[in-house]
Amino acid sequence: MTASSSHPDTIVAPATALARSALAIVRIDGPLSATIITSLTGILPEERYATHIALKSGGELLDDCIVLRYVAPRSFTGNDMVELMLHGSPFLVDRVIGAIVALGARVAEPGEFTERAVLNGKIDLLQAESIADLIDARTAVQAKLSLRNLEGVLSRKASETREALLHVISRLEAALDFSEEGYEFITREDARARVEAARDDVRMVAATFERGRATATGLSAVILGRPNAGKSTLLNRLVGSERAIVTAQPGTTRDIVRETIDIGGLPVTIADTAGLRATRDEVEEIGIARAKAAARSADLVLYLVDASAGVAAEDHLEEFPDALIVYTKSDIARAPAGELAISAATGAGVDELLSRLDSLVRERFAAPESSPAIVNERQRAAVAECEAALDAALASLAEGAEEQYVVVDLYRAANALGILTGAITREDVFREIFSKFCIGK
Amino acid sequence: MGNAPPEDRVPRGTVSREFDIIVIGGGHAGAEAARVCARGGKSVAMITMMRDAIGRMSCNPAIGGLAKGNLVKEIDALGGLMGEATDRAGIQFKVLNRSKGPAVQGPRAQCDRDLYASAVQSILGAEPNLTIMEASVRSLLLDRHAVSGVLLGDGTELRARAVVVTTGTFLRALMHSGETKTAGGRFGEPSAETLSGSLRALGLQLGRLKTGTPPRVDRTTVDFGKLEEAPGDAVPRPFSILTDRIERPQVLCHITYTGAFAHDLIRANLHRAPMYSGQITATGPRYCPSIEDKVVRFAEKDRHQIFVEPEGLQHPWLYMNGISTSLPADVQDAVVRSLPGFENAVIARYGYAVEYDFVNPQQLAPTLAVRGAEGLFLAGQINGTSGYEEAGAQGLVAGINALQSLRGGEPFILRRDQAYTGVMVDDLVTLGTEEPYRMFTSRAEHRLLLGCDSVYERLTPIALALGIVDDERRRRAEGRLRRMRRATDLAAGTTLSPDRATQEWCRSAGLELTTQSPVARLLQRQDFDLDRFVAAAGSAFPDLAGAFGELTEEEREGVASALRYSGYIDRQQREAAKASGDEETLIPEWVTYALPGLSREVVEKLSSVQPRSLAQASRIPGVTPAAISILRMHLRRGWRQNAPDGSAARPL
Repeated sequence: MTASSSHPDTIVAPATALARSALAIVRIDGPLSATIITSLTGILPEERYATHIALKSGGELLDDCIVLRYVAPRSFTGNDMVELMLHGSPFLVDRVIGAIVALGARVAEPGEFTERAVLNGKIDLLQAESIADLIDARTAVQAKLSLRNLEGVLSRKASETREALLHVISRLEAALDFSEEGYEFITREDARARVEAARDDVRMVAATFERGRATATGLSAVILGRPNAGKSTLLNRLVGSERAIVTAQPGTTRDIVRETIDIGGLPVTIADTAGLRATRDEVEEIGIARAKAAARSADLVLYLVDASAGVAAEDHLEEFPDALIVYTKSDIARAPAGELAISAATGAGVDELLSRLDSLVRERFAAPESSPAIVNERQRAAVAECEAALDAALASLAEGAEEQYVVVDLYRAANALGILTGAITREDVFREIFSKFCIGK
Repeated sequence: MGNAPPEDRVPRGTVSREFDIIVIGGGHAGAEAARVCARGGKSVAMITMMRDAIGRMSCNPAIGGLAKGNLVKEIDALGGLMGEATDRAGIQFKVLNRSKGPAVQGPRAQCDRDLYASAVQSILGAEPNLTIMEASVRSLLLDRHAVSGVLLGDGTELRARAVVVTTGTFLRALMHSGETKTAGGRFGEPSAETLSGSLRALGLQLGRLKTGTPPRVDRTTVDFGKLEEAPGDAVPRPFSILTDRIERPQVLCHITYTGAFAHDLIRANLHRAPMYSGQITATGPRYCPSIEDKVVRFAEKDRHQIFVEPEGLQHPWLYMNGISTSLPADVQDAVVRSLPGFENAVIARYGYAVEYDFVNPQQLAPTLAVRGAEGLFLAGQINGTSGYEEAGAQGLVAGINALQSLRGGEPFILRRDQAYTGVMVDDLVTLGTEEPYRMFTSRAEHRLLLGCDSVYERLTPIALALGIVDDERRRRAEGRLRRMRRATDLAAGTTLSPDRATQEWCRSAGLELTTQSPVARLLQRQDFDLDRFVAAAGSAFPDLAGAFGELTEEEREGVASALRYSGYIDRQQREAAKASGDEETLIPEWVTYALPGLSREVVEKLSSVQPRSLAQASRIPGVTPAAISILRMHLRRGWRQNAPDGSAARPL
């Protein structure tokens, strides 16, 4: 093994999803990676140069592939590493991995590559977490946000706030040691102002969660409207396939049909729903109730109104004040002036609808490109804990509580920020971060 | 040796005697260590250079204070002697920070120094398992990596399986008074010159520290009419749970101040103060600075407070608390005579500074055992601390661990959220110290959990399990807990309704009752005086009145404040609990830290401290969170470390 590698065993795993695709990447990490690639290719590929070569096992051709070899510690994990770019067939990938295992490697556990990178000091825990987010990213905006977090913008901001709190804590505590002499190292007013400033900072970070979450996990949209308003047709238009069943018979969609498309850089999952009308059909009634429930919890609601029928009593527009109202069937009837109108049948107005949705998503949900945002539940919980603790400390300061009580909550707040930034590491946090990883990462 | 002890008191020649445990030193650390080992049923020898000096207060005649008072209460809860001795010798008791709630209160007692030493000596004298020997120790005896006894100055060998070294300021001690230097750790007492060599031979790094003491003034030459009076508490509150009440007569202390004249004089003579002339290069305590330090460092202050404290009921001297100094005699005379009330004062003993060897405590395990020398423990000022209380608490920790090592029992390590003693020991072995370490409230991040009021609840059960607590102390501690629990439960279970009679009772207790409320909630309010309420309404609530009537004043305050601050206490407890997993994640002793991903600096720090747990590792300055993550992953994975010969990894 190389002198600087801490890992005695060699691991292998596909680094891309096991599905039919153009390319599949297989990663080998550990001391045997160089000898394995030599016995599969007959050469030792030059370090950090893409080498196009045939992979053979027992004289039999496995695949024609590109090989990248890294030498410790100049690799992602810090160990000797090889990456193979194969043709994207699950069958092929299986065979190659089988051949590599036969040469002494074992199949990697989930997150093991990233774990090795952390172990070798190549990345820290928060960067590891950002990598998990990056891997899950489905759109460009999501990837950018993960990259910003990877670069540590969020950490820096939280660290500054934490430093400010520790400053206040140390001065309040110094007074505890000299309270008989009556020395004061920070005035109550100064302490309050600093804690308040920290609380405001933390609130701002907390407020990024809506956008951060939306960016990280995507948005939900629901299409509502009376039966046969054209909901399924619109969904099919947007998705470009025949996913939802479209018939001329009103009330065909009895449950919710979902598709995900990229709007404003974010994945938006659009749900088609049962048409809203008074009905005695029990199944249809359940469908309608579900549709309304879905709309209430959705980030976006598209409410379709058949332009040839107009708004009816059954429409209940007042229940969805934030809904975007779209008049349909503009090819057969005119929508009221100034309203958004489409014809799903001809495609007229669909581009305009999409551009409206695009700017809506960017304005309301996407994280600003320049600023960091908290994106996952772990980060949200830490920030919420910090905010609650600072509110408690401010309440203590306001009621004139003594230093030793004020600092209880200031410590709690500083610790929460420490957890957020990784300045404090703890077993539970660690486990949570690593549980997000899948095999090959 | 400087002053050899009288020959007739020690066995002559190369006689060999055998004990279970030897304690070197009879100061505050040594007294606690020897006592607890004897209590634990082992045969113990205490070796002291002067039998009469056992339990001597070498500096100020007072015990306790902020944070230090908590240490004394912890010593008491663990069965130590400092609280008892203080109660027998105390001549002015005062709870500092009384208005601030028990978490940061510090009981303090001015003591008669002769009574204190004789109290310690009589407590030790009552231990049948303890032999006190007057002798000097030339060196430690070692059997490979384990200590096997000590060699005395006269060549006698004493054998033991554990040795606790509590030599205070006596290792290569040098006293400075002005330009004069004398070998010795305390006025009129010799220095231990050769033991340092034994410690060095074990590979221990020694450093140099200094501490100082102020002049003592003949009390008959002071005009007390010109001084401010500083009285103690009206009802003195004992330190020990064994003490029902303080019997000694209580006295006044006084306060005076330095002025511009004294400050000018000190500045003009700085070149004659050993600290400033370069004669002493060791570091002195930042928090208990000499008057020359204060004048230089706080140049803007036009006066410094001096507590004028009696050294005893009959003692002819006054201790000038606040002007510790090593300036020459003529300057000390002039400074003292410039103080109001001291115009004609005569100094009975001049202040002096002591310079001495200490062992960097990062070389110790959290048991205060010397790593790599089985059976050897260090406690007290030798570990770089300052103060009787710090020394006593360490003596107890080292003594209990010596006991446990002989019994083959679990190491005795208190957590930071469990005791100030735990904070101190963790600080010492994790951070080391560059100046005499003194206990402070601010050092304990979980301080609400460490108040004097909860000390018997926290620590006495541990001491009971260790078999070091006598029946009387156990009985009293259990009774106290039972009473406080009962009162707390009744306060929570008794609900007051705002009828006219109850409202009237509450009004007399300082509170307007408007809605139905449990007594526990009323107690959370600062303006509710429970004693008055009980006096007025006792007959209507006989159980409640009875339960609170059984409590001492201190217990009553404890119950009230636990209720009053329960929200904060709960939150602090939860915060401490979150980190407890890492406190319990132990790092095996055999690991080596040369791991990829760890910088050389981090590896050096981890290797020199050898943290016991992941949490301790994270407190070492310079050990980064990323490094902790790396350690954590190795611990989770089973530390697949290659042995030096390249053979297989070791499982955990």
